[in-house]
Amino acid sequence: MWTRSRLQNGIGVDKRFVIFSPVMENPFRDGLLSRRAAEPCAVVIFGATGDLTQRKLVPAIYNLAHEGMLPTGFAVVGFARRPKQVEEFRTELRAGVEKFSRFNPINPAVWETLAQGIFYHQANFNDDARYASLKELLAKLDRDRGTAGNRLFYLATAPTDFEAIIAHLGAHGLVNERSRIVVEKPFGRDLPTARELNEVVASVFAERQVFRIDHYLGKETVQNILTLRFANEIFEPLWNQKYIDHVQITVAEALGVEGRGGYYEQSGALRDMVANHMMQLLALTAMEPPTSLAAEDIRDEKVKALRAIRALNPAEVAAWSVRGQYAAGAIAGKAVPGYVEEPNVAADSNTETYVALKLVLDNWRWAGVPFYLRHGKRLPKQAAEIAIQFKAPPAVLFAADTTRPLQPNVLVMRIQPDEGIAIRMNAKVPGTALNIQPVKMDFRYGGSFGSRSPDAYERLLNDAIAKDATLFLRRDEIEVAWALMDSVRAGWEANRMRPVTYAAGSWGPTVADEFIGRDGREWRRP
Amino acid sequence: MSLEAFTAGVETAVDVAGIERQLRQLWEKAGPTVTRASLFNLVAVCGSAEERERATRVIATVTLRHPCRAMVVTTQPDHVSAELSATVTALCHLAGGGGKQVCCELIHVTATGRSVERLGSAVLPLLESDLPTVMWHLGNICDASGRQPVMAERVIFDGAECAGVTSLRDINELVRSRPRVQHVDLAWTRLSLWRKLLADCFDDPHAAAALAGMEQLNIVHGCGAGAEWRARLIAGWVAAKLGWSAAEMRQRVVLECREDQDATALGLVSLELSGSGASVQVRKNFGECTATSCMMMPAVCGLPRRQAFELLDDAQLLSQELDHARRHPVYEQALALAAQWQASQTG
Repeated sequence: MWTRSRLQNGIGVDKRFVIFSPVMENPFRDGLLSRRAAEPCAVVIFGATGDLTQRKLVPAIYNLAHEGMLPTGFAVVGFARRPKQVEEFRTELRAGVEKFSRFNPINPAVWETLAQGIFYHQANFNDDARYASLKELLAKLDRDRGTAGNRLFYLATAPTDFEAIIAHLGAHGLVNERSRIVVEKPFGRDLPTARELNEVVASVFAERQVFRIDHYLGKETVQNILTLRFANEIFEPLWNQKYIDHVQITVAEALGVEGRGGYYEQSGALRDMVANHMMQLLALTAMEPPTSLAAEDIRDEKVKALRAIRALNPAEVAAWSVRGQYAAGAIAGKAVPGYVEEPNVAADSNTETYVALKLVLDNWRWAGVPFYLRHGKRLPKQAAEIAIQFKAPPAVLFAADTTRPLQPNVLVMRIQPDEGIAIRMNAKVPGTALNIQPVKMDFRYGGSFGSRSPDAYERLLNDAIAKDATLFLRRDEIEVAWALMDSVRAGWEANRMRPVTYAAGSWGPTVADEFIGRDGREWRRP
Repeated sequence: MSLEAFTAGVETAVDVAGIERQLRQLWEKAGPTVTRASLFNLVAVCGSAEERERATRVIATVTLRHPCRAMVVTTQPDHVSAELSATVTALCHLAGGGGKQVCCELIHVTATGRSVERLGSAVLPLLESDLPTVMWHLGNICDASGRQPVMAERVIFDGAECAGVTSLRDINELVRSRPRVQHVDLAWTRLSLWRKLLADCFDDPHAAAALAGMEQLNIVHGCGAGAEWRARLIAGWVAAKLGWSAAEMRQRVVLECREDQDATALGLVSLELSGSGASVQVRKNFGECTATSCMMMPAVCGLPRRQAFELLDDAQLLSQELDHARRHPVYEQALALAAQWQASQTG
């Protein structure tokens, strides 16, 4: 058992135990799997009348309360423009919890206890006087509910409001050493705007106080990438350029823009999905083993992997990327309009709804191993997966007898839906001839562990309240990813690459098949 | 045997010696539409038809989350005739996402009379290789069958089912006599909520500093079967963590049985730990299905913590334990001290 002095000196300390198991301080915690109780805390949600609060945040908070994961002194302050009485606000939130909580029906006593700590603060995001009164309210909560200055500010607003809110928080002295801020994506729309946003945040909050949320990282299967890689001895020795031919990361959506044409016109597939979620999947797949599971150690390794990605020059962008835009077609037998026919989309829109990219990492582990990334809307089905394709085995033993070339092994990590892991390997077909066929070993989470897992927001909010930043993005991760995305966009502009259309319900433009085909490879069918 | 009956959960009698072969034939018939899943072997040991029925019901639920090869082994040594019989069936459910059926095997083996002695030879070959084996002992583990050699890495039982004056001592001896086996007591699992709520109160450094001054533990429990047993076990845990001896427990621990209908059925009602300048109370509010804890001392937020609880049935308890394959050294420590305390009281 570590002694207190060793902990304080930071000598020989396993950081996981510092976060999760302060056994030396509280003997009753010994042997319990639940993490220590978080300190009393006030969560201030900006944009508290919005969809995110109603559908995700407050149901996640209720779930944590239901399971006894919230601190004793806990408060939620809703900060939003609409005039509203606190009782009305609580009633609306309760309706959201009843609809979206994973506990159904909810426990009325637990809700009532939680609701007593919910408050509403009507204000415009630029209204100085209302920030002053917010300060008074938080001071009152510090006294009444013991929150003692421990505040979590959650920006559930449009990105255009971030700057004003953060500046006012700073100007009114609402931020102290114990405060944290949760920032929702998008973290800018390119490197300059990301830096600008980071500077705004940094002017008021230290980096350790900033929790940039990417809900993809809250998914069990994404967290399992590290477990699969580093808790299984059989994979790590093969996880390098010597044995791996290439990696395919696919995030396919059957949905279109679903009424968000205005937003999507400004964003496009590259910014909306590739810059954040897919770069995180790549980083987790490519990173070196961290020295511990502590937040900084994991984030250090992710950044190193992202930094190893070679920036693309315009000529490479022309050869190593594809832009697509869906035209009218059919999904699951139902006719759907093309992108330019969607509401709030320009008839001559230059926005891509499909991206395919080839990236290479210039480091020892991945030299010469291309990572193919593919994301699109209105593809035949929803699927997110990482496929590791190994090199084909030497065919010297089987070349003469077998009727077809040996298929390389493939390891597929399915993120959604039907989460699981599959391995393709070769087996002899029973019979007198030496006939070899690929077979699939398929592990499904649903089959092996049932389907119980907390919502991503529940996990991430719990971490933010407990000050655990492991599953949140650090400033340098964001900026490195944007620098790469900017080089792609610059290449598209330099080459005047307009999106190529593809029929909704297809697997993307045919040029995407040609693009990967030039390397002698083909896209997997998820 | 028809495939439809097998996957529909109908028990079909089979020859004990040929169980494995018959199962293999059935899975071949099922083809790729059915996924057979198994993460471990689960052997439920029953001493009566009632326990057999209970085990079958629980396993049907548990396999939704924990696919395994399940065996329900029933022994009836007092039976006149010596017979060894078996049935097989599949427990199937639709997996999320893919819509495929995921199935587990359930094998019932029943031994009567002298054939009980040959039971091990029938069960051992049926354990799937390279998978851990968990033995779930229904009923009183302190009786003769509980003292049989175990074929598993983990043994799950409910200590409260052996309630009796010497049961803490008996179970403590049993656990200590098999150091290579992980013993999991579902009575201890039931106390998880109590342990968590008490631990939550002392995470605050100010509260943790007050631990040294704690000197009195009052526990109110129901008067139903096993309730006092659980109260003694949690008292052993608190005392062990505070460094109290069995002699000190005699001075400092007060158990109170309350003749209340809810409490009779549900075990513990409240726990209060107090000392100089601080006290903590944890209680269950049965009517609203919540549990609350509250720390009362200067400089610590005195708001109560309230969380929901549900009364866990056998399947939920078993499922919780199967989630985590681990030893419970804290349990063993608590059990040992509780047994010493009990012995010191009974002289």
